[in-house]
Amino acid sequence: MEMCFRALCCKGPPPPRPEYDLVCIGLTGSGKTSLLSQLCSESAENIVSTTGFSIKAVPFQNAILNVKELGGADNIRKYWSRYYQGSQGVIFVLDSASSEDDLETARNELHSALQHPQLCTLPFLILANHQDKPAARSVQEIKKYFELEPLARGKRWILKPCSLDDMEAVKDSFSLLINLLEERDFEPSRM
Amino acid sequence: MPALAAPNRHPPPPQPLPGQAARAAASGRQRLGRRAAAASAAGAPPRQKMFVHLWGFLYSHYFRFWLKWILRLLTRKCELQRILDGSKEGARRTLSIEHSLDSSKSKVLRNAVHVDEAEVEKCVRDVMKEKKIEQKNTGFKINLHICLLQISGYKKLYLNVESLRKVPYDADNEEHEEQLIELWNLLMPHENLKARITKQWCDIGFQGDDPKTDFRGMGMLGLVNLVFFSKHYTSEARQILSRSNHPKLGYSYAIVGINLTEMAYSLLKNGALKSHLYNTVSGLPQMEDFHQFYCYLVYEFDKFWFEEEPESIMHFNQYREKFHEKVKGLLLDYDVILTLKNTKKP
Repeated sequence: MEMCFRALCCKGPPPPRPEYDLVCIGLTGSGKTSLLSQLCSESAENIVSTTGFSIKAVPFQNAILNVKELGGADNIRKYWSRYYQGSQGVIFVLDSASSEDDLETARNELHSALQHPQLCTLPFLILANHQDKPAARSVQEIKKYFELEPLARGKRWILKPCSLDDMEAVKDSFSLLINLLEERDFEPSRM
Repeated sequence: MPALAAPNRHPPPPQPLPGQAARAAASGRQRLGRRAAAASAAGAPPRQKMFVHLWGFLYSHYFRFWLKWILRLLTRKCELQRILDGSKEGARRTLSIEHSLDSSKSKVLRNAVHVDEAEVEKCVRDVMKEKKIEQKNTGFKINLHICLLQISGYKKLYLNVESLRKVPYDADNEEHEEQLIELWNLLMPHENLKARITKQWCDIGFQGDDPKTDFRGMGMLGLVNLVFFSKHYTSEARQILSRSNHPKLGYSYAIVGINLTEMAYSLLKNGALKSHLYNTVSGLPQMEDFHQFYCYLVYEFDKFWFEEEPESIMHFNQYREKFHEKVKGLLLDYDVILTLKNTKKP
């Protein structure tokens, strides 16, 4: 219908938004699929565990993010690094209310990603998800536990709390990431 | 590096699967539902889509009325009678009846598609009264009765499946726990669970040491499906489990099972399963019919996966989608029946 209308009013196609290729990682159950689905205005009600990877084009007002979401199960994480090539940014999702063991595993994975040669120069958006759960740790605690200040020094990263019931805040966090990605566009020679 | 053993042979079908006839050319009378859906789904150019919609609008609002009036004059039968007299039992007939009732100007007919099981007889009589059909026409009565049970039963089945899906797995619920343990015992008869929380769950394809986190949006529907397949097709389930542990072409049995539950659920939800269920059940479809379709999906997907020889489990989603498209294509056939017959003696 919209195309008919456009054709009738002799309007051209809408101006293209810049596109960025991102990779989305995190342990199983952290909420990657649910967050991305809701950002695409799809219902997160019928979600199943992601096996392998899935690609979603997530639209924002000023950009389109082509997100390659990688499943977080133990037997799939070993394949993550095969899919880093060509990424311009990273989204790392963690369950703020997970057990100590799981949090440690998440920390190890995040550190590996931050130091991986194909990702170490890219902007990271770290989402401390499941903030709605009573056992959720605060952003301050997460920042301290994940040793972000010392380890990620010199890199560009954003750490934000989030939960599925406040998608506006999630969109704001993504806007910050898009700003970082746009900045990068203007500095192609930066190491 | 040792040569990879060929995957175990796919378990032989309990009975040869029925052949799926290619869809015949469209019949004379335009049935826009499927063709329009297929045209827009196939990504037809916008102009073609526009014509399809325009034709659909004109047909349903003007041509159809006059066509029916002429046909009634010529044959002295209303549309329902023409359909029931003109075709034998099956999806083609029931879908035509459903379409006719949905598009009817009469409220009595439109409401017939939602009728309760207990009210079907009365509804049939009301429809016959509305359409001025003689009450002694028992052939019509019986046939319409069956169609209404199928049509309203499909909607009821969806509601039942949906309410089971909405039940989250609850580790404090004894019934839920029993079913989970039953699943283990059926699939791994020679090994005991060391604890409720254990890495052993990965051996049947769950992601971690506690399966409760894997059901997600499918809730108890996922577990019930898995248990049904393992209980009623135990040897097939065990063979498929063993194939799923293949070093290169392996996949996570339970997780893929839950994925297929989602596929069966969405096919039921969007009406795609109508042709299959109207062909296989001449009455009210039950939960068991849904479970049987799930079993077909698991069995066929395993066969499909090994035939396709994907590079790795990482490409699961694209093969899942390919399989999904294949099944959707099969379901467009009016004569489709997709089941795995059980040759075991009850």
